[in-house]
Amino acid sequence: MKRYRVLADRILVCIVCLALWQVASWILGTYWVSTPWATISRFFISLWDGELIRHAGYTIEEAALGGVIGAVPAIILPFALRRFPTIVQIIDPFMIGGYGLPKLALAPLFILWFGIGIESKIAVVVSIVFFIEYYATLSGVRALDARLVQMAQLCGANERQVARHVVWPCAVPNIFAGLRISLPIAIAVAVVTELISSNRGLGYLVQMGAMNFDITEVFAAILGATVLVLAVGYAVDGTEAMLLRWRPSSDPLQQATSTT
Amino acid sequence: MSTSPLLEVRNLAKRFASRQGREPAPWVIRDLSFSVRDGEFLTIIGPSGSGKSTLLNMIAQIDTATGGEILFGGDTIVVSDPKALKPGLDRRIGYVTQDDNLLPWRTTMDNVLFPLEVQGRLDDKTRAHAETLIKAVGLSGYEKYYPHELSGGMRKRTSLIRTLVYDPPVILMDEPFAAVDAQTRVQLQEDLLRLWEMGRKTIIFVTHDIAEAIALGDRTLVLTKQPTRIKAEHAIPFKRPRNVKDIFGLEGFAQVYEKIRAEIQ
Repeated sequence: MKRYRVLADRILVCIVCLALWQVASWILGTYWVSTPWATISRFFISLWDGELIRHAGYTIEEAALGGVIGAVPAIILPFALRRFPTIVQIIDPFMIGGYGLPKLALAPLFILWFGIGIESKIAVVVSIVFFIEYYATLSGVRALDARLVQMAQLCGANERQVARHVVWPCAVPNIFAGLRISLPIAIAVAVVTELISSNRGLGYLVQMGAMNFDITEVFAAILGATVLVLAVGYAVDGTEAMLLRWRPSSDPLQQATSTT
Repeated sequence: MSTSPLLEVRNLAKRFASRQGREPAPWVIRDLSFSVRDGEFLTIIGPSGSGKSTLLNMIAQIDTATGGEILFGGDTIVVSDPKALKPGLDRRIGYVTQDDNLLPWRTTMDNVLFPLEVQGRLDDKTRAHAETLIKAVGLSGYEKYYPHELSGGMRKRTSLIRTLVYDPPVILMDEPFAAVDAQTRVQLQEDLLRLWEMGRKTIIFVTHDIAEAIALGDRTLVLTKQPTRIKAEHAIPFKRPRNVKDIFGLEGFAQVYEKIRAEIQ
């Protein structure tokens, strides 16, 4: 029952937001804020004629490639360095620097280096996903329960088996916590990078809409990006819930996903 | 039952490393010697903080000793070099710790099969053995449950048979039943004795419960306060197989109990 209650409340929130938007367009004029109906119908028309899907496809491609290229080494690195805490210590200030660096400020540089095509967007996405995922995985590897490692060794597990059967599963929840944050951000970052310079993608649609004073186009493209971000978030949550069935349901993270 | 000791501890000593500039850390254990015969159920009882867990950790080779030696089957085990420690001495020493240390992402069955899996000994025969053990401790029907879905007593049973499943010749137990309620404890003690009767492995069982030490053991060692050494030794004459529930009524129980109680204080 709680499920339906949550769903009903969400629809209610949605209706209120749309109503406020409608009121705003009456007061401020459709020229500035468009209308919900115009945006939604443009969204579906654009979806139907393939234009939106084509552009979203580019954005997804950038985010996906950047996500994989950024996340995979970020997950592997803390595991590889598990036995070398000194190296982790040495690289830590550089990692924190990389983490804190305003990556969008790098976008012009990447565009100079890689051109306005897909490569420069991937580079920006990588630079964001990598650092978030590195710290998420690192905290997972550090959260390891030493008693479980000892138990495994007593049972006769070698170093490789300890890594596979104890360290890895211990870190998976943290790896997912990192993905839950970084992958939706990957989409958003791809869109923002497209705004700076591109000839395709959802960010390009937003930019073109704004240049043509076509606010409806801007909103329809933003709606498309939002749908993508939500879809990625749900995909991560679903995969996590499937892989982490062993966790007690009192876990707040799991509770959050089980209500969705 | 052979008379030569399977495991021998000679003049074992332990002090933890002190921080720089401080006085040397006090001795936790000093001049502690005892031996265990093959197939013997030895119980060790001592006041809390008497270094019981430290003693077992050293025998299990997950902690170093500061002095003395440990012999297994007549061979000296390296105990002072942390890099040379071999946890569990190549599966010859099993260790049931105070915490159950079950892997939370594995079901009851998969936790029990874990040692066999990492030892590369998982086959139909060993799997059937695991199922027998699960049945013997009343966990049938819970094979596919995760640890968080089990009660404390069930988790204890799971961790117990996880060690029994690969048949180490010596099993160390560190107050395994301390954290469960009294009724469950008696049940677990009975389970343990029944399983032990099946194979008669060597067991070193550490506890702070006098009744438990008497009920389970062939022999009981009483430890002193720190620095720990052996204060007294009692042969427990009660015949096997024993019934834990009846042990309090047996002749001689009260005498041994009172003696040990006086020695511990």
